Amino acid sequence: MRRWTVRTHLAGFVALAAAACARGERAPVDAGPAVTDDVGRRVTLAAPARRVVSLLPSFTEILFAVGAGDRLVGRTAWCDYPPAALAVPSVGDGMPPNVEAVAARRPDLVVLYKSGPNVTAAEQLERLGIRTVLFDLNQLEELGPAARRLGVLTGRRAAGDSLARAMDSLTSQRPESPTPSPKSLVFLVWDNPPIVIGAGSYLDRLAGLAGARNVFHDIATPSAQVSIETIAARNPDFIAMLSDSGLPPGYANRPEWRVVPAVRQGRFLFLPGRLFGRPGPRAAEAVRELRRRLEAAP
Amino acid sequence: MKYVVLGGAALATLAAALLVGPAHLPLADLPGSAIVWQLRLPRAVLAFLVGGALGVAGTSLQALVRNPLADPFLLGLSGGAGLGAVAAIALHLPGPWALPLAAFVGAVGAMALVYRLGLVGGAELDPRILLLGGVAVGAFAGAITTAIVSLAQATELRNAFLWLWGGLSGASWTLVLVMLVYAPLPLAVLVAAARPLDLLALGEEPAQYLGADVRRLKRLVYLAASLLTAAAVAVAGVIGFVGLVVPHVCRLVWGRLHRTLLPTAFLTGGILLAVADTLARTVVAPRELPVGIVTALLGVPVFAFLLRRWTVS
Repeated sequence: MRRWTVRTHLAGFVALAAAACARGERAPVDAGPAVTDDVGRRVTLAAPARRVVSLLPSFTEILFAVGAGDRLVGRTAWCDYPPAALAVPSVGDGMPPNVEAVAARRPDLVVLYKSGPNVTAAEQLERLGIRTVLFDLNQLEELGPAARRLGVLTGRRAAGDSLARAMDSLTSQRPESPTPSPKSLVFLVWDNPPIVIGAGSYLDRLAGLAGARNVFHDIATPSAQVSIETIAARNPDFIAMLSDSGLPPGYANRPEWRVVPAVRQGRFLFLPGRLFGRPGPRAAEAVRELRRRLEAAP
Repeated sequence: MKYVVLGGAALATLAAALLVGPAHLPLADLPGSAIVWQLRLPRAVLAFLVGGALGVAGTSLQALVRNPLADPFLLGLSGGAGLGAVAAIALHLPGPWALPLAAFVGAVGAMALVYRLGLVGGAELDPRILLLGGVAVGAFAGAITTAIVSLAQATELRNAFLWLWGGLSGASWTLVLVMLVYAPLPLAVLVAAARPLDLLALGEEPAQYLGADVRRLKRLVYLAASLLTAAAVAVAGVIGFVGLVVPHVCRLVWGRLHRTLLPTAFLTGGILLAVADTLARTVVAPRELPVGIVTALLGVPVFAFLLRRWTVS
């Protein structure tokens, strides 16, 4: 995975150098919006994008937040916020993107999350003459740059900058009151086998900003399989789960899970997936909500 | 002698599994610790039982189809179990037993289908058709599983695969009890078939002349080994390599007589899986490795070493 990333970065670097040389020879004719995406490609549009397809719920939220929601002509089945997004036609679940369904919306820009299958889909779209951008979005720190560049590409530069500043100031702040013993939690994604969230995910930072400590902060990847024993040994104050029902999970009564004190005492935090399930413009709201729940808990 | 060695190794393995783990427990705290009684001990015992079951199932199936590549999961069972698990999640079947039960039902369904295919040539179970049918049914079940996962828009479906390859993370005393109640019957059937299985190695006709009821033997062995494997999938998911490598290791070390082969395969399989699981949960702590990776990493070099030594001499 790391090697793959390095390779794409390298390829992007070479492409960038080539582009720089080309620019040196002749001055750009048009003054349309231009950004560099996260695979290092220079993306230049003749004019601000008017027909955009977003292939990640976070990008859909950002586009609406910078006032470019009316430019959206396609979204994924997962894009459910803001409610106005539901009026935009869906092009499927986006995993991997259905290239024909995307092309059928006749977009002049497709926004994709940077992943292996999406890089392939972007190449296919480019061959059809459709411009694409690929952005990273695993960490809260990546929200600002994504908002800034989406603002540029849709001709909403000022709104994009202002959203980006808000996102940057959120992620650059220290936790409000660094209490001597912050509450600790584990984000449990799945119980059998136990999958937890590590420092590579935005949720880890979200917990930090809310004044809590992710007990698996030492795991660098977004998520990892661990054993129940490790969770018990790290002894988090809370088990945080993405859950809209708020019902106690099925494993809560099993003897092997009741070895974990927080499970035994029923100290669960059920976080609604619509707010916590993705990094986005509402990150500050998510931080406030998590802090409120941590303080309300006994 | 070999049973003393294997029994000693099994006890040492269980002791090591109780002593080490990602949580650092002082030796004095061990006897009263819930981590030992509710997590480490059931997990080690379950690993031993599942490894043993897979070792015995692999040994019997290799003798039945007279093919050294036979593996308990080659005969369509893992595909069927996967389909069952994914269907359980797609249909929102409730309760903690939905996933293991559905995987069991899926595996038994695949087994029944392969069994029926094995009988197409007449009243005799044809080993070659069992193998081909197993591969075909496995591929078919795999295709349906993939279709469900890609068409249904539910992220939980991906978790069915996590569960299927998850190994022994969910071990509990309940699952140990399930294995203890369930496994003895198919194990006894297979051990009772030890002598006829030796005869089968000479070929079906010679075995028949020497007094083995070959037709009945093949059916019993196939059903018992498959039911044993189905139970292993239900409690621990698909664990590769134990059922393939352990029979060969035992044959190379202790010879080809099934009276010895089956008990030693049980103990060796149990030891291999218990050691592999102890390593899986400790070497990359706080993370955990899928146990199937460790069984292959341990099993293959041992296998290669023995193969070299025995083929040279």
